Order: sequence, then structure tokens, then C-alpha cells
Amino acid sequence: MLGAYLPILVLVAIAVIFGLCSLVFSSLIGQKKPSVVKLAPYECGCEPVGSARERFSVKFYIIAMLFILFDIEAVFLYPWSVLFKRLGMFGVMEMGVFIVILFVGYIYVWKKGALEWE
Amino acid sequence: MSPIALDIAIHLAKIALIFFVVLTLAAYLVFAERRILAWIQDRKGPNRVGPFGLLQPLADLIKLLTKEDFRPAGADKWLFYLAPAMAAIPAILTFAVIPFGAPLQLFGREVPLQVADLNVGLLFFLALSSIAVYGVALGGWASNSKYALLGSIRGLAQLISYELSMGLSLVPTVMLAGSLRLSDIVGAQEGIWFIVYQPLAFAIFLISIAAECKRIPFDIPEAEGELVAGFHTEYSGMRFGLFFVGEYINIIVLGGLATTFFLGGWHGPWLPPFAWFSVKTLAFAFFFIWMRGTLPRLRYDQLMHLGWKVLTPLALVNILVTGWILMLR
Amino acid sequence: MESALFYILSAVTVTGTAFAITEKHAVHAIVYLVTSFFALAVIFFLLGAPVVAIFEVIIYAGAIMVLFLFVIMMLDLGHPERARLPGIREWWPALALGTVTLASALALVVSRAPAISAPGKAIGVKEFALALFGKYGVAVEVISMQLLFALVGALYLARKR
Repeated sequence: MLGAYLPILVLVAIAVIFGLCSLVFSSLIGQKKPSVVKLAPYECGCEPVGSARERFSVKFYIIAMLFILFDIEAVFLYPWSVLFKRLGMFGVMEMGVFIVILFVGYIYVWKKGALEWE
Repeated sequence: MSPIALDIAIHLAKIALIFFVVLTLAAYLVFAERRILAWIQDRKGPNRVGPFGLLQPLADLIKLLTKEDFRPAGADKWLFYLAPAMAAIPAILTFAVIPFGAPLQLFGREVPLQVADLNVGLLFFLALSSIAVYGVALGGWASNSKYALLGSIRGLAQLISYELSMGLSLVPTVMLAGSLRLSDIVGAQEGIWFIVYQPLAFAIFLISIAAECKRIPFDIPEAEGELVAGFHTEYSGMRFGLFFVGEYINIIVLGGLATTFFLGGWHGPWLPPFAWFSVKTLAFAFFFIWMRGTLPRLRYDQLMHLGWKVLTPLALVNILVTGWILMLR
Repeated sequence: MESALFYILSAVTVTGTAFAITEKHAVHAIVYLVTSFFALAVIFFLLGAPVVAIFEVIIYAGAIMVLFLFVIMMLDLGHPERARLPGIREWWPALALGTVTLASALALVVSRAPAISAPGKAIGVKEFALALFGKYGVAVEVISMQLLFALVGALYLARKR
């Protein structure tokens, strides 16, 4: 069972080693002359004002929520698309109902203006 | 050599080959981009290091490695260190499932030119692209800089929005091929490429991967006119380099996937299969560079409208129509 | 080889989740939780369920944790110094649920019920899809209704006041 995935595990190991090595070498080779001014976060050369971890628009929360819902829909679509020739017309109807129900929700979201960015 | 040892040797050779070819290609893509942009803008571009500037990537590497590697005050230490690796590693791993040539006959056995021919290959790619967002999100958040935070929030929302349309646009190709295995998808295109049956899905996929690479016209997470450098504003040295290389590896990998899904993979007349695959993949890379030289940047609301109001519903309708037509046939 | 891998992965899963619970810094907790989801996904691979493993990564690590990250950034929760320990009132539901879970796990161990062993070969996408859309076809439609309700609910929660 592991056979087909073993090469991927090896590639994972190599990629992780590559990533960590470049990080470690970079901090070993590079010079280090830190100063208070140099370490200040960049803000057009002025002194940073306030906190950098601000609250932001609730819009982004809606986008993430919509993404989860449609991602779950997509996840149902992949197994269906593999098998849909065997499921035949019944399968197309089944998935048609599934997509149409979600499409109703999508239209509701659109009409409510959740997809507008002003 | 015993068969098992031979097996292991072949696998390791393939992995090493892919790893080095992809990294070198990414480094030279940076160089090619600078030369092509210079050519489009009627300048010379980097031409001093080595013949025609061909050693420029090496000079860049040395420069990045010797730069001061600092962490801004108030940054989250470990996340700031690790975020670049989180961005680069998924891009490299995606290459594991791409078939980059016809199976070879080596030592009396058939060797597929692919690291692992997973039966869920397409889902493997989608899973990796869904976790590639963490590098952008955590890197920007950990930097403790306002530009970086804004860039990472924009980037996160953009990546997840376009991931959706990218994933949905692939469903019709799976319906045509009847398999999630990438070698089967390539095999199904031996006669006619899927771009002929699915031009709409191809267009949606192409736009979505441009957004996933954060390329102009979708480079809003790092828009240099407004956000300095977006989520990697505070990064320097090789940590910046990893973000950068990850982005270019991503271009190559997504180009390779577009080739696999819609342009028949390594199929093609006259030339050997591996050459066909390379030509098609590099054509996508060139297309992205060309786009950068030609198009202006979208506004954020336009970006979200395109993703949510045009591409996603179109992809869903495309799936239903494709299903209907395939059933009536 | 496989059982060794299994024990390593389960150790990662359990410690990752434990750290996610005890970590005061919300963003770090997310990173721990994502790590434990990964280990869990590889365990699914080992059990011969590659499709479930991938869905675990796509949905849990790639979508739900992204929402958590957004919410934590949005509510500006990244201040561990302001966090406080929950009072007794908030502890007892967790304790009650934990006791039920532990007790049922113990009952399973004591009764020596046959554990579900991994099938001889991996379940492919086709078998998975056949079961999902044949046997559980109605459930799939119900799920689409559920997603619709979730959509409406999410919009209601995020409405402008």
C-alpha cells in the first residue's frame, strides 16, 4: 500500500531539507549588524504608527465562509465526475439537483449583495 | 543489480532529476523574465554576467545568500522563519504527479516519467494548492508590518477565490477522461486534446492559474505601487529568495498542469514526448511573462467580481452542460 | 514499516492537537492543528483511504483552518497576554464531553471488540464514488440542502447591523 507513495515521501523529505537548508545557510552566511532603526517595520521611513495587527473588514470572513461551502460542493463533484459515465442519466440528474440547490444559495448571496465590494 | 535495488535507483534518479531541473528552470525563468521584459520595453536587460548574462542567476543566488538576514522588531520568530519554506515546498511537491514524458523502456522494464502515478493525482495537486496559502498568510501576518498584513489578507482571499474556479474548471476534463490519474488524463488525449472539447474550461483554468501565481494582472497581494512588496515586504536574503523561487516554480508547475489537462501532455507529432512537454510548459511561462509586459493591474473589487461572479458560475454551468451533452451522445 | 509509521504519525497527531489546545497564541494553535490534520491525512493513506486523506487536507487544512485564520486576524485575537483561563462555568461542558469520550474508548478496549482492520488494498476513487452516489445518494442531496442553510446562516451572521 505504501509502495506508490514512497517516492512522494522521499520528495517531501528532499523539499523540506532544501527549504530548511536555504533558511539556515542564509542566516549563517549573511552579515549581522542589527540596529534599532534597521529592525523597525517598514513604514515609508516614518516611525510605525499603532499596531500592525489591525481588525479588518467582515467581507473577508464572508469570502472564506463561501469558499468552504463551495469547496465542499467541489469535493463531491470529483468522485462524481470519475464515475458519471457509469451512473448514467440518474447520476447527471442527481448531481444536477445538487448543483441547482447550491446555485439557489449562490443567487441568494448575490442578491443580498455579499459579493459586492465597494 | 537486484530488481529492487534497480527500482530504488530509478526512483531516486527521477526525483533528483526533477528536483534539480525544476530549481534550475525556476532560476532561469527569473532571468528570462528580465530579458523578455527588457525586450518588450526596448531596453537591454541583464547582460553583464557571463555570455549574454547567462550566469546572472548564479550571481543572484550569491547576492541573496550574503545579504543581511534580519527579523523586524515584534515579528513572530518561528512563523517568520518558516513561512518562506511553507510557500516553496508545496510548489515543488506538486511536480511529483505530473507525467513529463512517455514511459521509457529502461533495463527491460517500463519506467513511467513521473515520480508517483497516484490514482488521486488531480486531488493531490488541489490539496497542495489549498495549503500553499499558508506561506503567504502566515508570512505577512508574522512580519508585524502593515503592508505585509494587508498583502497577506488580500493574497489569502484571492488565492482561495481562484482556487475554487480552478478546481471546478477541471471537473469536465475528469468527466472526459474518467479518471483522476494524470497519466490517464494524458492518455485520453492521444487523439484530440481536451482544449478542443473544453475551450471554456481551459480559459477559466488559465485565468485562475494566473491568479494563483499572483502574476500581473492579479498581483494585488504584492502590488508595488500601493503595498511596497505586499506580504514579503519585511523579508530579506534567502528567505525572500525562497518566496521568489517558490513563485517561479509555481509558474512552471501550473504551466505543466495546464499542458497535462488541456494540451495533451507529452503527446505531439515528430518531436520526442519530453520535448513536447517542455515546449508547451515553457510556452505557458512565456505567456505569463508576456502578460506582465502588457496588462495593467486589476482593482481589488474587479478581481473579486471576476472570480466570484464570472468564473465560478461559468465553471458550474460548464459542468452541467458537459454532463448533459455527454449523456445525450 | 507501516506500523512504525502509524505510531509516529499518531504521536504527531496527538501532540499537535494537545499543543493546539494549550497554546495561548491563537495563530500558533492553528499551525499546530494544521500539522495534526496532516498527520491524520497520512494515517488515512495508510488505512487504504487515499480519497478521504486528500479530502481531509483540502477541506480541513485548506478551507476550514483558513476561515479560522481569517476570523482570528479579523477579531485581532493574536494577543496571548490578554488571554485568561476559562472559569468553571466554561469548563464543565468540555469536562462532561471528555469524560463521555474517554469512557466509551475505555469500554471499547475492555470489551475487546474487533477493531476495524485496514483492507488489503486501497479503496480507489471509483469504489468510493459508487458507494457515495449509489448507496448514499439521498444523503448527498441532504448535504446540499445543509450547505444551503449554512450559506444563509453565514450571511445572517455577517449582516450589517
